[in-house]
Amino acid sequence: MIKPVTQTSPLVELSNVSKRFGKVTAVDNANFSLSQGSVLTILGPSGCGKTTLLRMIAGFESPTTGNIRINGQPVQAVPPYKRSIGMVFQNLALFPHMTAGENIAYPLKMRRFSPQDIPGLVERYLDIVRLSGMGERRIQQLSGGQQQRVAIARALSFNPDLLLLDEPLSALDKKLREEMQLEFRRIQQQLGVTTINVTHDQREALVMSDEIIVMSEGAIQQIADPVSLYRQPSNRFVASFIGLTSLIRGTVEDAREGKITFRTTHTTLQGQASERFRFGETVEGAIRAEQVRISTDIKGAEGMDNILDGVVEQQIFEGDRMVYQISCPALGTAPLFVFDHDPSHHTPHAQGDRVVVSWKVRDLLVYPCQKYRVSNP
Amino acid sequence: MIGSRSKGVVLWTIVWFDLLLLSLPTLIIIGASFTSGDIVQFPPEGFSLKWYSKLWLLDDFKSAFLRTLYVSIICTLVSIPAGTLAAIGLARYRIRFHTTIQVYLLLPFTIPLVASGLGMMIFFGEIRILGQLWPVGLALCIINLPFMIWAVSAAVNGLDDQLENAAANCGAPPLQAFFTVTLPGVMPGVITGALLMFILAFNEFLVSLFLTDARTVTLPVSIYNSIRSVITPDLAAVSVVYIVIAFIAVLLLDKLVGLELFLKSK
Repeated sequence: MIKPVTQTSPLVELSNVSKRFGKVTAVDNANFSLSQGSVLTILGPSGCGKTTLLRMIAGFESPTTGNIRINGQPVQAVPPYKRSIGMVFQNLALFPHMTAGENIAYPLKMRRFSPQDIPGLVERYLDIVRLSGMGERRIQQLSGGQQQRVAIARALSFNPDLLLLDEPLSALDKKLREEMQLEFRRIQQQLGVTTINVTHDQREALVMSDEIIVMSEGAIQQIADPVSLYRQPSNRFVASFIGLTSLIRGTVEDAREGKITFRTTHTTLQGQASERFRFGETVEGAIRAEQVRISTDIKGAEGMDNILDGVVEQQIFEGDRMVYQISCPALGTAPLFVFDHDPSHHTPHAQGDRVVVSWKVRDLLVYPCQKYRVSNP
Repeated sequence: MIGSRSKGVVLWTIVWFDLLLLSLPTLIIIGASFTSGDIVQFPPEGFSLKWYSKLWLLDDFKSAFLRTLYVSIICTLVSIPAGTLAAIGLARYRIRFHTTIQVYLLLPFTIPLVASGLGMMIFFGEIRILGQLWPVGLALCIINLPFMIWAVSAAVNGLDDQLENAAANCGAPPLQAFFTVTLPGVMPGVITGALLMFILAFNEFLVSLFLTDARTVTLPVSIYNSIRSVITPDLAAVSVVYIVIAFIAVLLLDKLVGLELFLKSK
């Protein structure tokens, strides 16, 4: 029965998994695998199918088509209570009539751990989540962050093969959320448990994961490590979903491999593309706010490739940076977002100021404009 | 701040007036039960416990009281599993004919008690159980079941809808998940509903009137029968017994569930 897990065999493997609810396709042909010990985040806007994907792995839903394998075994016929998976639920789903310790002991009892071992394990996991001595507390007596910790301990106490996190941090305020992200990371690294995390928070995904899957409308858009995902988004959706990105539409004028020249409302721009385009094809250029330089005159744009005139529409002070929204007559109505760091050293540009914006060709990524569906790797 | 002050005065006047109006009948009947005279009157004439001791000696009342207790217990015992399972099922599972079942279960609310009483009398007569005591308990359970379902539904809706999934994820098979997680979770609702069912059955008059005869008469019917002949202060004493039982139920509710929770549940 027990198949030895080698370094190469993936712990979780999804092949051509789709889930339809009536006419709605929640998950469309998902393929990915996850190796032992890594942290995967499924990132996407609400309603993109990420939670459905997670619930199928947990066994609460079954795929309409396709296969899920855990430890190499198909799990189609395995009910959730027979899967070795711990899960932290969105609203935590702690058992309200039990104490913190009883919650943590519950999976141990249900999975028939020896009764002598249970108190020791409960203590150990209370310790891991830094709640030592709070085992007797009732759930209602704990703060939001402490309840999170109990939920983590309950999901981990029976040493599952896989840990699933269903946006458990979404209800917390920003400060506590960031604190808990680091806690998850610490506990995950301490125990080395393979983890799948679901979130709509790009920061959380970048902070917590070894690998990120971006989903939109049921389809996987890109699978990559955080750095590649940020630096080389594979399509327009990923480019605009992660980071603050301006999108500029145009038609292709010159389409040599790599460097694309395209015409926007009143100018031509050059950008980088990883695929071929036909002459006249509609494309969209994506440029990150931190790659655009803003200056008062042309001298500030030295060394840049694309240089445009613009007017400051709006400026937002964010403490460590200014965020400008610039309107460039050459780009038509599309707004251009610019980050300017260290604003205390120079006078910020005021609303209505005429400015020069510029960037390098390699930072303007060009994508086909039509709705993009990625074929799975 | 004169406006808010006069608003306060008006509000408090209304509150006290309402409280007085609500409790006046109870206060009068409690007072009247301690009379030493031979007629029900308020203020009572003198003070004595003679009507209570007389009540104790009246076999009719005593046996009617025990029968009512029996009927109420049957009603409560049947309603606990029926109402709890129905409420959990309706709230938690995607069932076919969901709305139909819901309407059907709440139907007793909308049918006049005279109609249900008559209907059950005919039906019980047909299947030859009319005249026995236990069917009365069953009948009271049927007409009051919506209260049980309502109480448990409020508790189910207060639970996290992923609780059963969480139990399954912890390794609990469905039946075990039900007994270790769902049922304890809705227990406040079950207790509330059960006490409510008991009190309602204990007080029920109209349907009982249809279903009982001289041998199976319950306390409310028995009281009704005696006010048709002669009104003596022992009736006031019986009423006080009722008040005490209701009061005990409320105390129990507060001890077991907490009144706050009960009042908050919709």
